[in-house]
Amino acid sequence: MASQLMAGNSAVIVGAMYAGCDCFFGYPITPASEILHEASRFFPMANRKFVQAESEEAAINMVYGAASAGHRVLAASSGPGMSLKQEGITYMAGAELPCVIVDICRAGPGLGNIGPEQSDYNQACKGGGHGCYNNIVLAPASVQEMCDLTARAFDCAFKYRNPAVVLADGVLGHMVEPLRFPERALDQGIETAWAVAGSAATRKNMITSIFLDFDELETHNLKLQKKYQRIKESEVAFEGYRLDDAEVVAVSYGISSRIARSAVDAARKDGIKAGLLRPITLFPFPAEEIRRLAGRGCKFISVEMSNGQMREDIRLASGCEPVQLVSRYGGNLIGLDQIIEKIREVA
Amino acid sequence: MEKSLLAPGHRACAGCAMPTTIKLVLDAAGPNTIVVSPTGCLEVTTTPFPESAWCVPWIHSLFENAAAVASGVEVMLKRRCKDANVIVIGGDGSTLDIGMGSNSGMFERGHKVLYVCYDNEAYMNTGVQRSGSTPFCANTTTTPSGKISLGNPRPKKDMPAIAVAHRVPYVATASVAYPVDLRRKVKKALQVSGPSYIQVNAPCITGWTFDAGTMVEIARLAVETGLWPLVEWENGVVGQVKKVTRPKPVDEYLKLQGRYRHLFKMPDGGEMLKQIQAIADANIAKYRLVD
Repeated sequence: MASQLMAGNSAVIVGAMYAGCDCFFGYPITPASEILHEASRFFPMANRKFVQAESEEAAINMVYGAASAGHRVLAASSGPGMSLKQEGITYMAGAELPCVIVDICRAGPGLGNIGPEQSDYNQACKGGGHGCYNNIVLAPASVQEMCDLTARAFDCAFKYRNPAVVLADGVLGHMVEPLRFPERALDQGIETAWAVAGSAATRKNMITSIFLDFDELETHNLKLQKKYQRIKESEVAFEGYRLDDAEVVAVSYGISSRIARSAVDAARKDGIKAGLLRPITLFPFPAEEIRRLAGRGCKFISVEMSNGQMREDIRLASGCEPVQLVSRYGGNLIGLDQIIEKIREVA
Repeated sequence: MEKSLLAPGHRACAGCAMPTTIKLVLDAAGPNTIVVSPTGCLEVTTTPFPESAWCVPWIHSLFENAAAVASGVEVMLKRRCKDANVIVIGGDGSTLDIGMGSNSGMFERGHKVLYVCYDNEAYMNTGVQRSGSTPFCANTTTTPSGKISLGNPRPKKDMPAIAVAHRVPYVATASVAYPVDLRRKVKKALQVSGPSYIQVNAPCITGWTFDAGTMVEIARLAVETGLWPLVEWENGVVGQVKKVTRPKPVDEYLKLQGRYRHLFKMPDGGEMLKQIQAIADANIAKYRLVD
């Protein structure tokens, strides 16, 4: 099995290419630009399409166009760029189009800076654009997962005809780790009979999010909600670490979970029964597992590089008050000691 | 000498044309000036919070909307019956690409705003990706030269022509290598009653890769080869043009820059050099650069 040292942003392109992604539409923004660079290098070599758009809106709407034709399309951005893309994303959710968008989250609000944050949690997981919709949200925590979850995002997006977001951050994008390449290209046998392919067979297909009749839109919205329910029932993924006898559970995803894991080990050495629950999918959120742990009497700490955005979901799932928060936001990583101290306090 | 309105101590690269360009623009405009800058090298290098190199009021906007912010500033100045120069200073990415919509709106509505584009011919702040202003065959991180590419496959977008098509009363190209000409154009632009647009060729040491000491020489060669003609359009008509007595071959300009290195190494490079020469020749003929 081939293995290579690689940055997270480069691993995204590996995952996308193995997943049969055939178009990339990009626009430069730090700290996501390397995804664009890698696509411009490797997509043309493999006879796939790379286009640099003139704006974030143009890029996401090129995605809309290519996805309408049933193609596996990738876009990547960060912070201000993700905000600009929201219009296109809600249109794709409304028109039920699959696509993968990688968000290499940076610090906000506004221009903020180019340091890492996890503050796009609400934007990615709660919709972000207008209307009642959800993205499928996957949260890698390593360079390997930047590759693997990008590939998986394509499968989820096509299975449910829905936008899927890979929510990472500036550290994961630039961090270099060994990447095991996928053994083979992933199964692409997902039907796209719904697409508009310029053929007689697809002539009657419609890709639209406009339903002028109120009842029709209501029916469409209820259908979307049923889909999100199916996603919640089937696609939840998480990693449990030392949870078997845990009394204090740190819930953390992405780069923060790497630090939280070390904190759990340190607390265990002190005799504290600590564990880590790492959501791999943020939508759907692993609510059932949190409910189960709450039922057992676990106390929860949300470890996130944002102002308690994920904590709200832990509260809802666990019914626990208070759910403690360990956070930093502004471009700095959470300190190991910060988490250990909070675990001690809660235990 | 009077103090410049762009203070020293900013963090631009040594050998960057942008701060020199902006100093010339500001000093020609004078202190009664409000500047709007979209995100880009200029904003990042002159305003690392809490420091600022700006000695005039300065507003930062998002990447795509500086002309809209400037429109708002100009409208409120009028409402308060105050007179000040409103100048947008943006790079080519924000001007020619993502900000095109708001530029078009500002031009068309006729706001009294001077828009200065410092044109370094790619997205330099984010790591040298191509822009609509990247010239033919230039190597960038998203038009990498190699086996299947000889760099950027498209010629530069003609933004001055787009401004002229909006009936912008004063449009000009300028160069950091011709400071007297640039200052004169800024002063002239600020005299017109509506919008004005000046695009300044501003070599970038990081993206173009050249020796820091040769920045002005490179900018001058862009003019002397005919690749960057210095032209004014007044009410849509070509006015003063900087004549080039004896145009230099484009190779002299290109060979000093790393972004064109592949053209001198690869087998198909010679053909591309001919095509770039043809672009210069067409400019020379179009603007009658040679008497």
